[in-house]
Amino acid sequence: MKLSFIRGCFPSNLSVFIKPSISTNLLRPICFSSMSSPPTSLKPQIPLFLRPPLHSVSVSDLRKWHDWAKNLASSVGTTFLDSDNGPDLDLLCRELKWLMEDAIEDHTVFSQMGIENNQTNVRLRTGIEELYNLWKQRIEERRPFQYLVGCEHWRDLVLSVQDGVLIPRPETELIVDLVADVVSNNEGLREGLWADLGTGSGALAIGIGRILGSCGRVIATDLSPVALSVAAFNVQKYGLQDVIELRQGSWFKPLKDVEGKLAGIVSNPPYIPSDNIPGLQAEVGRHEPRLALDGGLNGMDDLLHLCNGAALMLRPGGFFIFETNGEKQCKCLAKYIENDIRGSFHSLDIVSDFAGIQRFLTGFRQ
Amino acid sequence: MGSELVWRWCVVGNGLVRCFYNNTTATATAIAKASSLYLSSPKPKPKFLILTPPLALIRITRSSSSSSLNLSQGYSSSSSSSNENNNEKKKKGGREYLEMTEQELMRECEMDTFKASGPGGQHRNKRESAVRVKHIPTGLIAQAVEDRSQHMNRSSALARLRTLLALHVRNTVDIDTYSPPPHLLSILPLKSTLRSSGPQIGPNNPKFLLGMQALLDLILAVDGSVSEAAKYVGLSTGALSRLILSHDSLRMAVNQLRASKGLKPLK
Repeated sequence: MKLSFIRGCFPSNLSVFIKPSISTNLLRPICFSSMSSPPTSLKPQIPLFLRPPLHSVSVSDLRKWHDWAKNLASSVGTTFLDSDNGPDLDLLCRELKWLMEDAIEDHTVFSQMGIENNQTNVRLRTGIEELYNLWKQRIEERRPFQYLVGCEHWRDLVLSVQDGVLIPRPETELIVDLVADVVSNNEGLREGLWADLGTGSGALAIGIGRILGSCGRVIATDLSPVALSVAAFNVQKYGLQDVIELRQGSWFKPLKDVEGKLAGIVSNPPYIPSDNIPGLQAEVGRHEPRLALDGGLNGMDDLLHLCNGAALMLRPGGFFIFETNGEKQCKCLAKYIENDIRGSFHSLDIVSDFAGIQRFLTGFRQ
Repeated sequence: MGSELVWRWCVVGNGLVRCFYNNTTATATAIAKASSLYLSSPKPKPKFLILTPPLALIRITRSSSSSSLNLSQGYSSSSSSSNENNNEKKKKGGREYLEMTEQELMRECEMDTFKASGPGGQHRNKRESAVRVKHIPTGLIAQAVEDRSQHMNRSSALARLRTLLALHVRNTVDIDTYSPPPHLLSILPLKSTLRSSGPQIGPNNPKFLLGMQALLDLILAVDGSVSEAAKYVGLSTGALSRLILSHDSLRMAVNQLRASKGLKPLK
């Protein structure tokens, strides 16, 4: 069985990762469905928009910051776009607006921004110096916008994210819709036990936890303690502590007790081929956890592992859906399932994302 | 969301089922072909009139919270659309579309995002969550880009689609036996002689669309004459004109309709 934590040594938060007892930890699942017993002392960061508005600044100074930030963004032009398909000026301006929305308590101030020398005070959720600092990180270090504000809007959720946790992608939103479709006419699946493997911020687990029936439950696993602490924060934010259980460990390792009992498995595993990592958009390649991105030589290491595991862990009639890098991986996985582990699954489907890329593989356990 | 009406499946090669409804390379013909697999009943002859601007000319921009339409130019009116993709057995006029839930409406739409460059997924961090929905039975297209999540943009796009449906899909009205439907009465000012009590519904209320649609149905039935329409709703011509002019999209729709009848625009 392949373990991902070897590759997990790449991130800077090495000390967090390799815990002295990791080998035993992986075998002995740690469960903390209640917030009172988190697995580590890690405290997730509070997203900007949830912080108390303890800071104050004049409209005039806020406007100065805004003009400075806009100028800095303008200086970028299409540099990022040309170098690695990064953000252009339009997108940066939209992000700037969102940053202000999250930082400013009273949004009516936007209409006063045009007034010269306005000395009215505005309450902020962080200091104006920090706003300068954050936007500098955005432009100069290409730090993802979502890490600046500590959240990502995903489906109808606002999820906390921070360094060390993959920012959930819009493509992944579709998995929840596909699961909703599957459970809508299948009570067994709707009231069953689901697993979200490599949950990261908890996005999929929360999205699915909200559409299952009253008996439906989700176990969300992740190898990264940072991810789990953020997922726990998000689970609690949406009041799903009784529906979603978080367990630490690699893929199926923390699920030994539910072998053959799962109604459904979803996962957005790392699927980028290793040699694509250096060419990634800087926001992704330099800042997001490699553990959540790098899928090995052809990007399929974890996907293949998940397929094999799903054959063992799903109950008959159980459903799986995995996100992939695109057409090549979808077809390769489907071929693997039809040839190498023939008889395990039926009704395989490849589903495209909204950009027309064949993104998801779905199927049912025989 | 999602159902066989949204997801158009196509069996390919090795028994895999491939979804291509939102594949950028899939052409409308391919979609129409696939849909025909699901047409079990004879195609209904649509009974409503669609005033369809050339689709490329529909651009929706949003200022603050209300949506406004910039319909650039050139309506062409036709008595029915070719409507090969009308999947429903039931005949639908504009009113039925507006009464559908978000999921039901979505089932009649194709959705795609634009700017599908690059591999996407984990490769990408761009909050470009723009959404475009195309309503298959009418061909109307609405889009939304300004929200921070794709899901929310989809809701905004569908809300705009409802506005477009209200503005452009007409129900037939029998003018001889006409009495204004309750939805229409509720958007009228209180001075209307036909109104009972109750507050006047404004454009920010979702129910406004139903009233606006009914008003446009009526104005079409009286060949664009505001003074005629005013008689049917118990208002003076001036009061009805003011109502029409107070709402940009409504004003433009009325004026397009009047133009198609050779009448001068309201100002």
